[in-house]
Amino acid sequence: MSDRAPVIVFIGQPNCGKSTLFNSIAGYKAQTSNFPGTTVTHVHSEVLWNRKVYSIVDLPGTYSLSPHEPQEKVVLTHIFKEKPDLIVNVIDASLLSRSLELTLELLELEYPMVVVLNMMDLARKKGMTIKVEELEKKLGVPVVKTVATRGLGTDVLMEAIEKALRLSARPDAPRFSREVEKRIKDLMDILPEDFPLVANQRFTAIKAIEGETLAVDKFISGPDRAFKSELDRLRQEVSALRDAPAYEVISVERHHLALKIFEDCCRVTHSKVSAIDKLDNLIMDPVLGYFFMLVIFAGMFYLIFKVGSPLETWLLKPWEAIRLSIENNLGHSLLAELLVGLVQGIGGGLAIVFPYFIPLLFLIGFLEDVGYLARASFLLDAFMHRLGLHGKSVPMFILGFGCNVPAIMATRILESRRDRIVTALLIPFIPCAARTTIILALVAFLLGPWWALGFYFFNIFLIAILALILKKWFKYDSPGLILEIPSLKVPSLKSIWQKIYFNLKEFVRFAWPILIGGSILLSFLSYVQFDRLINAILSPLVSGLLGLPQSLGVTLIFGFLRKELSLLMMFQALGVGYGQLLSVITKTQLLTFVAFVSFFIPCLSTLSIIWKELGKKVAMMSAALNLSVAVVVSWLIRLVASLF
Amino acid sequence: MLRDHKAMFGRKRNGQKIVKPTLEGLCSLLEVPAGQIFKIAEIRGGQGLHRRLLALGFHPGDLVTLDNEAIMNGPVLVRNLTSDTRIGLGRGIAQKIMVETVTGDER
Ligand SMILES: Nc1nc2c(ncn2[C@@H]2O[C@H](COP(=O)(O)OP(=O)(O)OP(=O)(O)O)[C@@H](O)[C@H]2O)c(=O)[nH]1
Ligand SMILES: [Mg+2]
Repeated sequence: MSDRAPVIVFIGQPNCGKSTLFNSIAGYKAQTSNFPGTTVTHVHSEVLWNRKVYSIVDLPGTYSLSPHEPQEKVVLTHIFKEKPDLIVNVIDASLLSRSLELTLELLELEYPMVVVLNMMDLARKKGMTIKVEELEKKLGVPVVKTVATRGLGTDVLMEAIEKALRLSARPDAPRFSREVEKRIKDLMDILPEDFPLVANQRFTAIKAIEGETLAVDKFISGPDRAFKSELDRLRQEVSALRDAPAYEVISVERHHLALKIFEDCCRVTHSKVSAIDKLDNLIMDPVLGYFFMLVIFAGMFYLIFKVGSPLETWLLKPWEAIRLSIENNLGHSLLAELLVGLVQGIGGGLAIVFPYFIPLLFLIGFLEDVGYLARASFLLDAFMHRLGLHGKSVPMFILGFGCNVPAIMATRILESRRDRIVTALLIPFIPCAARTTIILALVAFLLGPWWALGFYFFNIFLIAILALILKKWFKYDSPGLILEIPSLKVPSLKSIWQKIYFNLKEFVRFAWPILIGGSILLSFLSYVQFDRLINAILSPLVSGLLGLPQSLGVTLIFGFLRKELSLLMMFQALGVGYGQLLSVITKTQLLTFVAFVSFFIPCLSTLSIIWKELGKKVAMMSAALNLSVAVVVSWLIRLVASLF
Repeated sequence: MLRDHKAMFGRKRNGQKIVKPTLEGLCSLLEVPAGQIFKIAEIRGGQGLHRRLLALGFHPGDLVTLDNEAIMNGPVLVRNLTSDTRIGLGRGIAQKIMVETVTGDER
């Protein structure tokens, strides 16, 4: 342990604030939101504290050590394969009694451990007073209070971690009732020499009685018949104690133990219905809830448009002026073309993406932190079932409005692979922040907000239709919804700002350079007239099928990199400024183009994440599905327009 | 099965003719009126579901109440008063949680 940085893992039930706590210690690295199941993979960071390096790991939340969902299994892998030096068990203090059940299970591991009572602010608001010393005595491990969103208590936590590592004290496993203890002891006594131990003998014995399939099962199905029949007998004896399966008996014992500790260590002085609870009842109302949902989403759209469009006009002006002055002074030389490319790249990023991108990120971050995602999942569950999906897919769709990539990652919380595939195939049809920006900046700005809203609704309608079609394809047997609804929380501005900053950094570091580079490259290509070749090749599609100017062909290539590129480069390809767009193409052509570009293929990052998460076949399927939808939809737009 | 619970749903809507679970009788979470307190008696269904609910803090003996019921055969919102948590449960799952009435002093 001396040469290697000690490994500290954060383990706790979903939504207790592990990632927020991790971020406040290690800097913003892990996604956070008020939805159980936000973290789906481990995030790791080296932290320097008091001249020592610690290796801290944030893990997905898990309700117990009998994992059910795929991301929960990550936790077990970390406990047993990576062998951490210290477990930091994070608890949502406002849900103390339930959270202690996992704590008791973790204590059975007998690893060095520190317990963190996070969300102390919420616990206090609920009228809870927690006696820390009492709790420390009962659990036999140090207990620290924190408020992760405000970074309170992190120093104390680091001190406790340092001390716990130094002492390396192993807690005693909690004791069950005498009857159960007797059976555990019996089993420990007859565990064969070569039995694959998990953590320790006692833990292994408990898990064997619970019928957990850790390493135990393979052994049990092996040759040692005497052991197996003995195990069966003990299991039945435990089971007979409460006339319930053995795992339930043990779980109920932990439950009672947790309740007992809770009653001894915590006093609840008042529990009045707060204003937030009343609001919650309205939001979750079986009738009004849907009305609120509509208001929330329409309001979001309206707000973004109201903020974005004046800002856009204002930001566009100087760049337009610079472009004109370059053209006036330098004519059509190579230098002028390249400069125009540069100016359009920079200006496009600033004036078109920023006014809409930031407000959208803000609002999505707000909804996430308030806890609306879980509520929307609940409200839309019945509807989603009709589409052959699950309420649990709803947060992924909402996340998709921000960016499709994390949305596809988030599908990991879906238990069945079938649901994951269907959801991942649908997500690329959700207009992400970049595409929303384009829809607002082009369609709303040039054709009017109603067109954009219409396009948006059409988009959502399209997803529903596709879901129905996919339902025919993939046999549907979604299990019912089981989703914890976390309490509504007042979002912390800091946390929302961190999310915006994180996405913005990605944009500035990655997308904007591509945007500028691509813009310059396009200028160059058109100067040497290479773009004509590409345009000629794509012409049957672009002009033949879609009825668009041939010169737009080349922008599609860029659109594969990032959707907003094709739309921004449209101006350059057509050789006009922002204001004059409608003088060279018709409204129908604009709509057709927006529709085609939106759907024709998932952008490179989306496609690669689908590939990585679900394999080549699904990625190919996604590309094919998008292309066919894009062709059909743009063709339909043309058809409808020709009727008027 | 399906027809059965549709009938139940209908009955609930037209007037308050809900059959209250008798002391010894069990009733699924789908059949009880919202807002009243019940005690979990038994969780039916497969091991996977059973263990999931236990992990989420739903144990026999816990006091629960339905916060409300989504329309259109949607999920129900169950509040566990013992651990002070709330979960949304699909109808098929709520149907497998059997509850009984509580006597006054258990509250
Ligand atoms: N009021 C309050 N809110 C908090 C505190 N800590 C975290 N939160 C909020 O609680 C929500 C959940 O936090 P996360 O850090 O995402 O929780 P997690 O444990 O990582 O959740 P999973 O990854 O889903 O298991 C977020 O909206 C946080 O802003 C706290 O101490 N006080
Ligand atoms: Mg997390």
